[in-house]
Amino acid sequence: MAKIKKIVVDRNLCIGAASCVLTADTVFELDAENKAIIKLKGGVKSAEPAEKTALEDDAASDNTLLTAAQSCPTRAILLYDEDGKQVYPS
Amino acid sequence: MEKIKYLIIGGGVAGTTAAETIRQQDPEGSCAIVSDEPYRLYSRIMLSKPNFFLEKIPFDQIWLKQADWYIQNNIALMAGKKATALDTAAKTVTLDDGTALAYEKLLLATGSCVRRWDITGAEKQNIFYLRTLDDAKQIIAKVKSTKRAIVIGGGFVGFEMCDMLRLANIDVTLILREPHFWDPLLDEHSGKLIEVALEKGDVKILHNSLVKEVIGGDTVQGVALQNDIVLPTDMIVVGIGTYCPIEWTAGSGIKTNRGIVTDEYLAASAPDVWAAGDGAEFKDVILSEQIQLGNWANAQMQGKVAARNMCGAHEQFRIVSFYVTSGFGITIAFAGDIRPAPEKKIVTRASADGRFYGRILLKNGKLVGATLINGTRDLSSIVKLIERGTDLSEKCAELADPSFSLATLL
Repeated sequence: MAKIKKIVVDRNLCIGAASCVLTADTVFELDAENKAIIKLKGGVKSAEPAEKTALEDDAASDNTLLTAAQSCPTRAILLYDEDGKQVYPS
Repeated sequence: MEKIKYLIIGGGVAGTTAAETIRQQDPEGSCAIVSDEPYRLYSRIMLSKPNFFLEKIPFDQIWLKQADWYIQNNIALMAGKKATALDTAAKTVTLDDGTALAYEKLLLATGSCVRRWDITGAEKQNIFYLRTLDDAKQIIAKVKSTKRAIVIGGGFVGFEMCDMLRLANIDVTLILREPHFWDPLLDEHSGKLIEVALEKGDVKILHNSLVKEVIGGDTVQGVALQNDIVLPTDMIVVGIGTYCPIEWTAGSGIKTNRGIVTDEYLAASAPDVWAAGDGAEFKDVILSEQIQLGNWANAQMQGKVAARNMCGAHEQFRIVSFYVTSGFGITIAFAGDIRPAPEKKIVTRASADGRFYGRILLKNGKLVGATLINGTRDLSSIVKLIERGTDLSEKCAELADPSFSLATLL
């Protein structure tokens, strides 16, 4: 599998089912609108696309990120590799 | 007769995830999915969400697999066909068009169906149920010309349909048989919190109410309650529960109860037959009892585990189930086993302002389930505590304190 560089949550698609949170709670949590946001270094939380390097070190392996994205029942998590190519959904 | 190495009955998330997993294990063996819906895999969970209903996202977002995915993976999708008979001795399944298929390994991922209303007038037009994409399409079309709607039943479908209908600016009356929303799974306080949110959103709620009869000609004009009050309406959405369609397996020797009974490996009681998803009544190794669940996460995970076992693994199924929904400015989350029982102790975990209200269910000192209103931040820790089976009998004061981080118990 290609290395994951960027993580995006599509807020229009996100229904707050929480499957990503349960798979990778070091990376995802639900905000007050019940939408998934991304946890960055130093306790910062972001609804914007995030570079993997902006996550806490060792927050999640590429495999865990992929499992989290695959578990989403609305495919609201998009993963991109270092060339900007979409890894998931493929 | 065509012989299929891996035959899957059911094209929902359990069956399709199983096919995908089988392909990872065995790239060559023939694999077919029989689905009684005329569609490829779609997001059933999305069907009840307002963004989909009100067409705020493109319709095509509903598809979770592209049509060519099945071809590329050499998975035969036999859509729009229903399995009608199973012979576990001859290892064959018969379909409603008369086709007989022989299998080596069989997965039953037949899901659940909506329970239909059986009252007078229930056959009239503009009475809707929500389970399939076709059901949703009918509701989407009807919502556009509706001024007044009635929703029957206080559960996830009822809650989400009220939300969608109000966002579409339709007058909504919710009719509950019970004294409060989601009784008896939720206590009165939790139920009332949900009702306050619904009422703030201008949903009228009738409690302890049963519909006696649907009124109208060919189409619905209203409902008469048992107290003879008549409510006019343009449409009715009925959400009164589900059942597993297992009658077609009768005589096959497969043990069934509410669903298809399996062991902890998701194997049914006949050789080379497994079950996954809403229709599986499996042995839960965390709770040590037979349970049946109807949610996405469970169906997806069971599809994976059953498929690995069909390919020769010997893997126990282990999951803490959860479901979260939101609407009317609140979130509702359920985790684990939330069925009330005398032997379960319930710890209330609530904020002073009453906005967050959680109930933590303990059995023999171990966390087994939780209901959380506006408390999804606790969900992840709760699921892990259930999974680990940590003894929390000495920690009730901490569990009850909403400022105490549950993560510290991990």
